[in-house]
Amino acid sequence: MTPLDLLYAAGAAWLAAALAGLLLARTPAGLRACCALSALGGAAAAAGGGWSLLYGDTAVVSPGGATVTGGPLQLQATSLAGVFTALLGVVAVAIACFAPRYHEPSPGTGWYLAAYNVALLACLGVLAAGGMVTFLVAWETMSLACYLLILRHPRSGESARGAFWFLALSEAGFLLVVAAFVILSAKTGATSLPAIAARAASVPGGWRAAAYLLALFGFGFKAGLVPLHVWLPEAHPVAPADGSAFLSGVVVKLGIYGIALFAFRLDPPTGTWPGLVTMGGGAVTAAIGILYAMAERDIKRFLAYSTIENAGIIVTAFGAAMIFHASGQQALWTFLLIAGIYHVANHGCSKALLFLEAGVTEHATGTRDMDRLGGLIRRLPRSAVIAFTGTLGIAALPPLNGFVSEWLIFQGLFQGFRAGSHLTGILIVLAAATLGLTGGLAVYAFVRGFGIPYLGMPRTRQAAAASEAGQPVIGPGLLAVACVALAVGAPVMLAALSRAARTVTGVSLGPLLLPGKLTVIPAHADFSAFSPTYLAVFLVCALAVPVLIYLAGRPRARSVTVPVWDGGIVSFRPRMQYSAMTFSAPTRVTFDALYRPAVSVTRQADHDPAGRSGPVHYEAQVTPVFQRYLYRPAVRALEWLADLVRPVQSGDVNLYLLYVFAVILLAYLLGAV
Amino acid sequence: MTLWFIRGIRRGVVTTRYPARPDASAIDLPTPPAFRPRELTRQVADGVVAVCPSSALRRDGDVLVYDVGACTACGRCAAVAPRAVTSSGEFELAATGRSVLIKRIPIGEEAP
Amino acid sequence: MTTEPVTAEELRETIARQFGRSLHIRTLDTGSCAVCEQEIRLLAAPHYDLHRLGFFFTPAPRHADLLLVTGPMIRAFEVAARKTYDAMPGPRVVVATGACALGGVYPEDPFTNGNAGAVLPVDVWIPGCPPSPLALLHGLGVAVGRLAEKVRDRSFIAPLYPERAVGDS
Repeated sequence: MTPLDLLYAAGAAWLAAALAGLLLARTPAGLRACCALSALGGAAAAAGGGWSLLYGDTAVVSPGGATVTGGPLQLQATSLAGVFTALLGVVAVAIACFAPRYHEPSPGTGWYLAAYNVALLACLGVLAAGGMVTFLVAWETMSLACYLLILRHPRSGESARGAFWFLALSEAGFLLVVAAFVILSAKTGATSLPAIAARAASVPGGWRAAAYLLALFGFGFKAGLVPLHVWLPEAHPVAPADGSAFLSGVVVKLGIYGIALFAFRLDPPTGTWPGLVTMGGGAVTAAIGILYAMAERDIKRFLAYSTIENAGIIVTAFGAAMIFHASGQQALWTFLLIAGIYHVANHGCSKALLFLEAGVTEHATGTRDMDRLGGLIRRLPRSAVIAFTGTLGIAALPPLNGFVSEWLIFQGLFQGFRAGSHLTGILIVLAAATLGLTGGLAVYAFVRGFGIPYLGMPRTRQAAAASEAGQPVIGPGLLAVACVALAVGAPVMLAALSRAARTVTGVSLGPLLLPGKLTVIPAHADFSAFSPTYLAVFLVCALAVPVLIYLAGRPRARSVTVPVWDGGIVSFRPRMQYSAMTFSAPTRVTFDALYRPAVSVTRQADHDPAGRSGPVHYEAQVTPVFQRYLYRPAVRALEWLADLVRPVQSGDVNLYLLYVFAVILLAYLLGAV
Repeated sequence: MTLWFIRGIRRGVVTTRYPARPDASAIDLPTPPAFRPRELTRQVADGVVAVCPSSALRRDGDVLVYDVGACTACGRCAAVAPRAVTSSGEFELAATGRSVLIKRIPIGEEAP
Repeated sequence: MTTEPVTAEELRETIARQFGRSLHIRTLDTGSCAVCEQEIRLLAAPHYDLHRLGFFFTPAPRHADLLLVTGPMIRAFEVAARKTYDAMPGPRVVVATGACALGGVYPEDPFTNGNAGAVLPVDVWIPGCPPSPLALLHGLGVAVGRLAEKVRDRSFIAPLYPERAVGDS
């Protein structure tokens, strides 16, 4: 019995769920049945992924000699994919608990759930792929299934546009990924991934670098690296909440898995510059991602940009790992791999949680606009607590999971002085500084992201009328528990990850990383040490101390209860509160070279002699820099090229006959040669 | 900056010593009026009552009711009746009771 | 928060003991023309320097001992004024200053209460329009029991043959 068997079970369950969705989801019972199957698959995948962390790589299996579009179907459960598979499973279970209460049973929902489960199956295929063809076929299936997933409401123009962005950029990435795989496969003469990995050293340096770059850009489209990220803020708002949770929690991680595959397993680069490019790209992505997040009012667009930020952080960690590998620092190479993958798990759980909660909010109030919400903590108390857990995790605040993995990444980056040259060390420090800026901005952004909708007074009647009745709680609650477990159980997680990393890099960090049972030391004993478990316990106790002092001293001190001094305000109005955009105004003013806001102010009755004006209309739009200056020119260039080539298809039969003749002639000549 | 510092050293301490010692600039302050009852005929009294902008002066029979608290030291009553009204020179006018600030000046009598 | 002193004697004693050397003043503008505020602000300037006497300005009524009220207590401000006074812990002193707050300039205006005493329990009244900083210092001294009231004894009856020239105000 190997982990691969569990993955087979998961795949079978998801296939069954897809069929069930298609046939049965018109009725509530059918919907629940489909979700139950999906949850079963998720549980199996989670178990299989977790087990493969400890088991190591299985052998490549071609079940029953099956083939996929001409190439052999090759499956392998690897430890590198272990965390990703486990994350896939956990998110699938959470979404399966969430979906019955969120979706209405209807034929449209049936199609949606079928597409979703096929996407799950395809993701599993990508993670369990042992060969190039299997990987590529599964990847493309995943892209197409996700496209159908996003296109839940095909009649809506906005929905179609978001889904189109996703599909277009997925295909662009797919082309580059195919190119990368083809180069490696052709140069090594193998199609199964372990074989490619074994013979990668024999590939000439130029080809290896080209393959890696193609893979970085190709997978970067999926992972959301700037400037390839444009589909994320377009596709997430239009997809249903659980679809967005799946996209951000799993699909983006698959892009990262692809980069990790090429960086650590198939094609570990020998020079420093691929690592520098990766690290630089990651750092820039992180900073730009969170900066754009600050300017968003739509909760889902905001979360989408935060996903971009975290993808940037993970890729920065991988880039630095590659630099360390090139300088011979194998321990740090392994350490940053572990830290990056830990952050994948943490972010996947937190972000999926936040998207599910965004769905609950949208369901309860009918709007995704932060400026129309407020005071939800009193109306949706359980959702608010769960959302708060997710927020703490995403913003990397102790004692939750995001803090642990970001701390580990920072510790790895701070050891940049051990990298080869001074210049490299300085660049690593610059990347760490950029991540520091990102971390600070992330806290700011998520104070806004949680405070504006949940705290304060409701800004509209819909927000005031929100109610918790009938809202899904178990699904997001499961992810919240996972977040806490990932934090408190960090030593366990790190032990498992170092065993998995040993399979990939050959370096065993276990005793270096975890000298005691509960303390973590990042790779070098003379640098730093920290215990997440102790920190969590200590913080809880520290919070209890003032409470205990108050309870002990209360009987003795006579106290008078008076109203809070509020500045003498007669009555509070919701409009007196911070709005989402005013809260982020300092950032938007500081970085306005990035946002390039287009501001229009119109004022009625400008010519009043007393100087009074009627209502003032103020509108500020963030310029979509990447769409306008990168994609539109690229599309126009393509169109120009197409126009150039158009005369070839003139419609003239004689010209076509000429083509036929010319090709036959060419084939004859080539055959003769 | 240095010039300012030297100038300051030469001028010395400008902080007033009030209330420990009297302040020299107090003599220039605009202050509420004081009345001479002998010069204050009924007619003059009606004149100053009419011209007061802040309702500090009122005539109540044979008495001019003078509310020191309401006085803005504008000087109109002194301008209208210069023989009857002079500046009191008093600026230490704080009181713990509002009624203490309302004075009753007899009209047309000798000063006590 | 301590209990408020009950009798006038207790109040005087408490004030002399607690505020004699350090008093925190919270200014409250209830609709004045802001000239009184300028004179109050001058108190902190080097010439008058109220810090040397142990008086300080504070924006928070919770930290304040003395409430310095200016302006004719417009109706729109009643709630805020009452809330400010209620937020001050005892013992506390209210000082109304300026002709507006004493009921002079707008006694019958429909938008004002006419004088500060209509809404707050005023302890010391400082006349003037505006009260000069010296008058304010005297008033603050009376409020903490350091200086004696002089206006009680003053009858505002001018001597028959004054030393000063006539009409110089």
